[in-house]
Amino acid sequence: MKVAIVGCGTMGRIHAANLAKMPEAELVGAFDVQVAAAEHIAATYDTTAYDDFDTMMKETDPDIVCVLLQTPLHRDYVQQIADYGKHVFCEKPIALQAEEGRAMAMYCKAKGVRLCIGHVLRFFPNYQDMKRRVEGGEIGRVGVVHTKRVGPHPGAASAWYHDFEHSGGVIMDLMIHDIDFLRWTLGDVESVYTINYRNSELDYALVTLQFRNKTIANLEAGWGVPEAFRYGIELAGSKGLLRFDSNSAGSLHIKRQQTQTAGTAEVAVPQSPTYADPYYRELEHFIAAITHDTPLLITAEEACTNIEIVRAAIQSAATGLPIYL
Amino acid sequence: MTKLNIGMISFAHSHAFSYLEQLLQLPNVHVAGIADAEQTRVADVVKRHGIPYYDDYLALLATDIDAVIICSENAYHAQLAIAAAEHGKHILCEKPLGLSMEEMDQMIDSAHTHGVQLMTAFPCRFVPAVVEAKAAIERGDIGDIVAIKGTNRGTKPDIPWFTDKKLAGGGAVFDHTVHVTDLMNWFMPEARVTEVYALAETLFYEMDIDDAGMVHMKYDNGAVAVLDPSWSRTASFPTWGDVTMEITGTKGSLWIDCFEQKNELFSDTTMKANWYYWGDDMDHYMLKAFVAALLSGEPVPVTGLDGKRSTEVALAAYASAANQQPMKL
Repeated sequence: MKVAIVGCGTMGRIHAANLAKMPEAELVGAFDVQVAAAEHIAATYDTTAYDDFDTMMKETDPDIVCVLLQTPLHRDYVQQIADYGKHVFCEKPIALQAEEGRAMAMYCKAKGVRLCIGHVLRFFPNYQDMKRRVEGGEIGRVGVVHTKRVGPHPGAASAWYHDFEHSGGVIMDLMIHDIDFLRWTLGDVESVYTINYRNSELDYALVTLQFRNKTIANLEAGWGVPEAFRYGIELAGSKGLLRFDSNSAGSLHIKRQQTQTAGTAEVAVPQSPTYADPYYRELEHFIAAITHDTPLLITAEEACTNIEIVRAAIQSAATGLPIYL
Repeated sequence: MTKLNIGMISFAHSHAFSYLEQLLQLPNVHVAGIADAEQTRVADVVKRHGIPYYDDYLALLATDIDAVIICSENAYHAQLAIAAAEHGKHILCEKPLGLSMEEMDQMIDSAHTHGVQLMTAFPCRFVPAVVEAKAAIERGDIGDIVAIKGTNRGTKPDIPWFTDKKLAGGGAVFDHTVHVTDLMNWFMPEARVTEVYALAETLFYEMDIDDAGMVHMKYDNGAVAVLDPSWSRTASFPTWGDVTMEITGTKGSLWIDCFEQKNELFSDTTMKANWYYWGDDMDHYMLKAFVAALLSGEPVPVTGLDGKRSTEVALAAYASAANQQPMKL
């Protein structure tokens, strides 16, 4: 299947690297208005760089186009791709407003193309295992849940993350992963309450969700937290407890002897290598769903519901009041 | 005074057994008597250590003891503490201090009127990591505190009165909100909680008292906090529970895990993992501080007012959960 990418930033590099080695895919083009970024990916992954979207669409005639852009640009490109009659993979969050996301989904449906939103946690083996065990009743009734997702501020590399109106902040862009996973695993949300501290270097949020089944969850997300990227989850149930901490999943630690002449030695960051990363499995799943006309693990409607929860959380932070949905 | 005569009133709360064990190790303490209407509860320790037994706490209070340690059901804290104060005895009272603001005010006032000291049993203040964290905060290592996420998750107590609302005052939210709230208050001594929003539910056990919750606090200095007080550790968990705090400041952050100093045992006998804490015993250092303050005539390190301020949050948590709205303090 011929795949082109729109947007050659961090997510562009991740998906291009996976597409380049995926037998079912052929990376046919990389478009970015910043042509240097497109050319870098083209050179690294042996494809063609484009600084014009329509030229790429006409010259490469892809089957799938991946929208890996800043969130406010999602709708315009998703609809343009649908106009070409091509299937669309779009990074999360689908849009900054749920209604905008629903308009995108309807547009794609009307044009007869599939739309897959990149809620990649659904493709993480550790999270899939958790969901299976919860659904298998291994921890009984789920009572209280904690999630964590913190790390450096992405605004250091891409300034748009610093613009709250543009990115939606840490709840919209980062915590949405955990919101999606918990909704997928525990069902509908009943109430939302938010604590959010924000300044130019730090966006730190604590969101408490109560689900219709009464389960209570506190979700923590932080941009600008002074530690390496870290994530984790704990689900405590009436018959046991399930948890995962990325700090305890380092299956490979490479440490180099420090020498006097080496100056500042590199900090050893533990790795957790797998043969296919979750982003690979996500795109592989989308290609298979198109090929065999099978349902997607994540629907656009679910992606829109995630935005509704995010919006309630942002509103709660602003008003200081809980939001009952 | 070179030696403090201490009486213990009620072993309803099992912390009393640990407190007694630690008191017996302090050279400047004499355990002068144990009062408990339920004789069977204390028969063993009384016999083993040759401590005089009283079935009526008033008889113990009539002796020449200097101080009492109260580990009764929460509902009797006020009555026992006020009686002790009236007999001129200093008091160390198990947490939560009382069941209502009125009760706690009476306890504090009574101690003041009779010139005795009232201390609330918050042993977590004496965990070395907590002491170091407070010093780090005071040094300004993490700047100003902006947010705290705390947990005091535990196993449901197997002593029946803990789940009897009349005797305990509340379930997990009442039992486990006060420790970490006290630490938050201690770390921000100038700040006061102004608002509480909480959820309180029964999610783990079939009973009519809360075993799960999430308590949110806003301080008048702008800091915000969330605390999980749930009894969310079931029998298979390797330890009883935890006390953790993740403190985010304007210049850094700080993580406390009070019982992380542990050995892990995987045993075919128990067929479950077990964690064994090997760090310093917080009860020991709390009692040492209580005794030292009384012997030197200095103020006790944790006051009745401290106990009231954290219990107030737990009481507001229930009001908030019932109303589904934040409560102003």
